Amino acid sequence: MTNFEHKQFAHCESGVVSTLLSAYGIQLSEPMAFGITSSLSFVYLPFVKINGLPLIAYRELPKNIINKISKVLGIKMKTEKFKDPLLANSRLTQLVEGENKLVGLQTSVYYLPYMPEDMRFHFNAHNLLVYGKVGSKYQISDPVFEEVVECEESKLMRARFAKGAFAPKGFLYYPDDTTQNIDLSKAIKKAIIKNAKSMTTPFPFAGIKGMKRVANKIERLDTSDKKYVQLFLTHIVRMQEEIGTGGGGFRFLYAAFLKEAKEYNLNIDILEEASHLLLKSGDTLREFALLCVTGSKKYETLNLKNIAQKLRDAAAYEEKAYKILKKL
Amino acid sequence: MKKVFIPQEENKTTNGQKKVMYAPNDDGEFETFKYGSSVEEYATSLAVEEYKILMEQSRRDIIAGISSPIEYFMYQNRMDLPTLSSIVNMFQFRVKRHLKGSVFEKMDDILLKKYADAFGISLEKLKGLEFND
Repeated sequence: MTNFEHKQFAHCESGVVSTLLSAYGIQLSEPMAFGITSSLSFVYLPFVKINGLPLIAYRELPKNIINKISKVLGIKMKTEKFKDPLLANSRLTQLVEGENKLVGLQTSVYYLPYMPEDMRFHFNAHNLLVYGKVGSKYQISDPVFEEVVECEESKLMRARFAKGAFAPKGFLYYPDDTTQNIDLSKAIKKAIIKNAKSMTTPFPFAGIKGMKRVANKIERLDTSDKKYVQLFLTHIVRMQEEIGTGGGGFRFLYAAFLKEAKEYNLNIDILEEASHLLLKSGDTLREFALLCVTGSKKYETLNLKNIAQKLRDAAAYEEKAYKILKKL
Repeated sequence: MKKVFIPQEENKTTNGQKKVMYAPNDDGEFETFKYGSSVEEYATSLAVEEYKILMEQSRRDIIAGISSPIEYFMYQNRMDLPTLSSIVNMFQFRVKRHLKGSVFEKMDDILLKKYADAFGISLEKLKGLEFND
């Protein structure tokens, strides 16, 4: 399909869904794709380890947007999974060549040859769009890249069948029926309240409570174990950044969504104030990341209390935002 | 509307690619801005560097007969134990044994082939890894 516009986005999944739906006739911005699926999150699971470090996430689980978007917009998204890589590949070729479709794929970042070497880690939930095929090369619109890219089909097959956590199993998706019959204003309101509730959950490892928990953990780090402290602090930054966002990128994305939601006949004052608070949280998280990194670099200047306090500040802004958003 | 700082620093880890983030423009409306962050650069480099340190440690342990080449290739491919276990479809305690030099000696080709496939290398390359100290 050539009838689409490649755009660079802050986050792969919301970006892919935005481009995909827009190409099929539903204009949907990236912030809207992210917000209307209540994708903002914070999770800290100290008992789940990645390279020996605790799992920290700043948004909902991968595929949350793809799975929820059809329900909230009242459209149909066709999804397919495969056992056989060859079959998955021929199906993709058929869709992009034979049926001239724009198709979304789940892939592993590690096996994508066009990814910069330093960015290649075993993250299995990277989303991209395939819009054509020339010879044995797929033409790809990768939402975190400035320009379109290409990928040899054998390499793409490997990336689509990477194993491990969130194994993609050849997962592909494209809109099937895009006739919408839904009250967007209602859907947005519902999504915002739902997200505000999930961020203020009493579950101690998620939302505001989770953020405070990480702050406490930072404060209690044993500075005599320099290497662990450095890896832990930069790990938090990486979990925050490397999924295609800067600083508290997901907070900025959500702030943009709340701003856009003002057009849908909802309480403008609440949305404006909450958007502002999320923006402050995002900016505070950026400062937090900066402190984590400078403290690791110049270890003698490391001040864990200050770092923890920054995270608590961000949590406080967000707590206030969700409190007023629940009244929307 | 609050102004947000948009870093314009060099980030070598992205090969010159800029990323984008949302921020309010002069009218207070959100749009995407290109940015480059040295904070992200450092965090990424440290993670990449860590694998190099682990590889070097593994290289020394292989020479000393403690570790197996599987451990070396695991780090070279930026994997940890849970990732490798799930790729070769074996329990972690079993894979952990295979990281030992003494166990590696006794492993048959069928088993070794699973690991070679996981690393995208030939069986010969996995078996033939040698370091000169």
